Amino acid sequence: MTIALDGVAASAATPSVLLSGITKRYGSVVACDGVDLALHPGRIHGVLGENGAGKSTLMKILIGLIQPDEGSIAVNGDAVRIGDPVAASNLGIAMVHQHYSLVEPLTVWENVVLGERARLNREQACTRVAALSDRYGLGVDPLARVSDLTAGQRQRVEIIKCLRREPRIIVFDEPTSVLTPAESEHLFSVLRVVVVDEGRTVALVSHKLDEILHATDEITIMRGGRVVGRSRTSEATASGLAQAVVGRPVSLRSEAAALGLIETVAATISDDDASDAVPRAAAAEAAPVVLEVRNATVLDVDGHALLDDFSITVRAGEIVGLAGVEGNGQRALADMLSSLADLRSGEVLVDGAVVDLGRPGALRRAGIGIIPEDRHDSGCVLDLSVAENLVLTDLHAVSGRGLLDRRAIDRRAAELMLAFEIQARSSAAPMRSLSGGNQQRVVLARELSARPKVLIAAQPTRGLDVGAIEYMSARLRAAAESGVGILLISTELEEVLTLSHRICVIHAGRIVGEMTHHDADLERLGLLIGGVAA
Amino acid sequence: MRSPGSWGLTLSTAAPLLVVAAGTIVAAKAGLSNIGQEGQLLLGCAAAAFIGTRADVPAPLVITLSFLGAMVLSGLWAGLAALMKFTRKVPEVMSTLLLGFVAAQITTFGLTKKWLLLATKNTSRVNNGQQLPDRAKMPTFTLFGNQVSWGVIIALVVTVVISFVLGRTTIGFRLRMLGLNARTARRAGVSAAVVGGGALIASGAAAGLAGGLWMTGGSAGDRFTSNVSSNIGWQGLLVALLARDRASLAIPMAFVFAALRTGSSFLAATGVDRRITDVVQAMLVLALLVPPAIAAVQRRRRGTEGAS
Amino acid sequence: MIAFGGSILDVLSSNSTYSSTMRFAATLVFAATGEWIAERAGTMNISLEAMILTAAFTSALGSDLTGNVWVALLFGLAGGFLVSLIQGVMSHRFGANQFVVGLTLNVLAVGLTAFIAAEVNPVVKRAGTVRIPLLARIPLVGEALFAQAWILYFLYPLIPFAWWAVYRTRWGLDLRCAGENPQAADVSGIDVNKRRRQAVYACGLCAGLAGTYLTIGQVGSFGADGVSGRGFIALAAVIFGGWVLKGAVGGAVVFGFFLAFGSVFQALGYEANPQVLGALPYVMAIATMILFARRGRQPAALGRPFVRGLT
Repeated sequence: MTIALDGVAASAATPSVLLSGITKRYGSVVACDGVDLALHPGRIHGVLGENGAGKSTLMKILIGLIQPDEGSIAVNGDAVRIGDPVAASNLGIAMVHQHYSLVEPLTVWENVVLGERARLNREQACTRVAALSDRYGLGVDPLARVSDLTAGQRQRVEIIKCLRREPRIIVFDEPTSVLTPAESEHLFSVLRVVVVDEGRTVALVSHKLDEILHATDEITIMRGGRVVGRSRTSEATASGLAQAVVGRPVSLRSEAAALGLIETVAATISDDDASDAVPRAAAAEAAPVVLEVRNATVLDVDGHALLDDFSITVRAGEIVGLAGVEGNGQRALADMLSSLADLRSGEVLVDGAVVDLGRPGALRRAGIGIIPEDRHDSGCVLDLSVAENLVLTDLHAVSGRGLLDRRAIDRRAAELMLAFEIQARSSAAPMRSLSGGNQQRVVLARELSARPKVLIAAQPTRGLDVGAIEYMSARLRAAAESGVGILLISTELEEVLTLSHRICVIHAGRIVGEMTHHDADLERLGLLIGGVAA
Repeated sequence: MRSPGSWGLTLSTAAPLLVVAAGTIVAAKAGLSNIGQEGQLLLGCAAAAFIGTRADVPAPLVITLSFLGAMVLSGLWAGLAALMKFTRKVPEVMSTLLLGFVAAQITTFGLTKKWLLLATKNTSRVNNGQQLPDRAKMPTFTLFGNQVSWGVIIALVVTVVISFVLGRTTIGFRLRMLGLNARTARRAGVSAAVVGGGALIASGAAAGLAGGLWMTGGSAGDRFTSNVSSNIGWQGLLVALLARDRASLAIPMAFVFAALRTGSSFLAATGVDRRITDVVQAMLVLALLVPPAIAAVQRRRRGTEGAS
Repeated sequence: MIAFGGSILDVLSSNSTYSSTMRFAATLVFAATGEWIAERAGTMNISLEAMILTAAFTSALGSDLTGNVWVALLFGLAGGFLVSLIQGVMSHRFGANQFVVGLTLNVLAVGLTAFIAAEVNPVVKRAGTVRIPLLARIPLVGEALFAQAWILYFLYPLIPFAWWAVYRTRWGLDLRCAGENPQAADVSGIDVNKRRRQAVYACGLCAGLAGTYLTIGQVGSFGADGVSGRGFIALAAVIFGGWVLKGAVGGAVVFGFFLAFGSVFQALGYEANPQVLGALPYVMAIATMILFARRGRQPAALGRPFVRGLT
């Protein structure tokens, strides 16, 4: 690698963490392949790589959630074995998790003291939470119930939970994925305090180039389970890093979007209408409206509004991007459009006709296809075969007189696997055995082959590598060109900017702003996403 | 009284166990736990006895009618659980179980009324049912010198049909989809209430049919009594659990359980309590649970981590 | 209709109604308290029935062997604990399906206790009734609450202790997390399956008290069909109570009333169909679930096994 830099490692006496030759295999897949990594106190170390590059596995090894097959770990120069999260905690290593680590029905202070050993002392815990909240300017109420908090607030609870144990080494796993641009800025300033004023070590794991460039001091780049580059941040360039991450020169704008190069994306918006990657908005103006959601209100079990008088229209051949931070009603919208959530009021029209939402599958029959946010939750059945997953919404085509036609299923599966380049051992392989990208292709193949009038794509590229993201983007664009109206629900601003003809912003269950591709303004978008009227 | 040879008796006992298990599998594949088979089967016995002692029609018709009656009554009984599940979110585990106790009280009530189940000339101290006429008893055939009830054939046919419906038909596919991922299924147009409710009713009807087979098969005695079901429902449930919801495995398991049962009734004559059957069967299930459970955990662990 | 209304009034104004209700309810309250703990940690304990039955039997055995009620109590606790040990280890160490284990244990317990009881035919010495001065003289409920077999009095410290343990201790916080979000508990350094096992053991001990009370406090003998679904009714009480302790206890008392209803009704000289009275507690348990099952918020991970790395 051209950007390898020996000086980084040599510059400090003892690294606070030294991972050497870490290898982890899952069957034939090598998640980490002889990885070396040194983290130093007083610095923010960026671990950059696309999804599936092995960053998460590496960090889970550091935090004791996964045991490596080979390699050694030294903390402050002493060799250690980290058998579980408790051992990591005792060594002063803590992680701010992306998901799954707060208990919703509990209060903030209960969550913060979770996993400690000392007696439960509410007053003391609350005081401590309040003190930490003040020190870092986090604004967290110790008595609030976590289920009432926004995604950004929850992350601040996570940070307090992590800092309360006074760790020396803190790992942040994709921390900005749930934050507004302003919240991300704030987070990075907190990180500065943590490393500069307090001398702690921070590892920032991310697939977004921009934030790695912006917030770190030194960078390790991973690809395919290996370290492919190291650099001082001050000496790194976006294009150099991008090339290292993907392993080839990056040319397409959607690739830039996938790498989180928002500035690059935004800079090219106005001047490249002629290039291949630009959405053609012209057709959309006069095209008929294929999807209309009118004044939709959806409530959660406690009666809080998830969607609040929400309205949106999508025309044939148009890609409408719905931007917004996670937890602002996107999930309820996708659920509602999949017959999985009930409307309190409002209606949904497909091709001008009102759809009866109460009947399971009614929306699909009306012509709505869906790529759900969580494909394991409502997109596929992991314990059925690939072939069965490919036909499960349209059994009529592969059955006669109530009997399944095995041969018709296999035939159809073979066609779709070819057309959508799905890689699996065979069409009879269980869905569970496929990689995330291939599972997503199965969902895409099934939904597009049903010839929908509207396609709802909710976070369609989440967790995919750059190649798969590129493929998905091209497919969505092609679908729109063939006349399908597409509603792209995404928390990745770059993705929305690259693909959409028109951008709507959702905040607290409402549409708070709308703009066309051409007058997309990064600053205004950022404000809208944060709920600031602009 | 007929006295089938020892393994003829085993085969005849396996029939109701197998049918209960097959019905349980239908519900389980739809993601529902019907655990009230004992009560459903008891109602099936009652319905079969009621029709069998009253219907004054030729033999094959009597038996057909009693089986139909048993299936309808038990199916409706399980349908109550389905109704509560899909309108009021009452867990079917609890409702099927508790309904079993209510069923026991209902049949006991039936045994106090001559217009229901009580024998017209009851000579015993406890209330017993009317003796079944010969035309209401399941005929037997001879196999290698053993008298075997035709119920065995019925049970095998039912199991094969259920297995076929689950594996090869669209309704079976929808049912399995519902059981494996209810949200994906709903999006694909599967109504949990219709398909899941149907599966619960079918499993109840199967328990009812098993009751009919048990009642008319001879080994349960020749009349309805309050404890006529004698754990056939529970044992059938254990068969399904042990077969891990696979119909093909349920067949041999049902025979093993039936053998344990008939074997112990032989032992009972030598002074060992018949209850020991339950103990042996339950121990068997527990012993067989451990290795597959551990294997499953390891497999899933590998599968998930490899994919992520 | 008027006569029936009058008889209900008689039932409600009779001291013996309250005493009987408490006698019948105590088993349910002990059991429901234990089950509540287990469910808050994520286990739906179908084997509660087996725990009560085994404890009822082992306490009878202890009483028969020594004639000492304290030994009977120890035996009862051990019996309930033994079943919970199998349930806990099978479902939260070996990862076996908790329902399957529970159902199997129920069949096992019914068979085994009936079999051994028929062989040894245990003779039970009852626990004595202890009147608490003054308190027992409170109108209507005084006798019911404070003039009972002394084992019943374990209830009074047990309920607040269970509440305190679950809501105010580190152990309880861990346990609730194991039932709500085991992944979060795990990454925070809590041993989820260990906490779940411990909750099941706690349930086993409570069920041990329930069974012991049933044998040496209430009935005075062991009958193979004496438990007859009380464990399942206690499960229904937890659902009725919306997974809140006071609701579960309240539900258990209400169901106790319906268990007692038959004997009270007849003791007051009224006639009623015995099967209707026999079915009443089960019907009421079902009816209350129809009314209230939608309302409660069950622990999010109830009934789901925890394996690290699975979401």
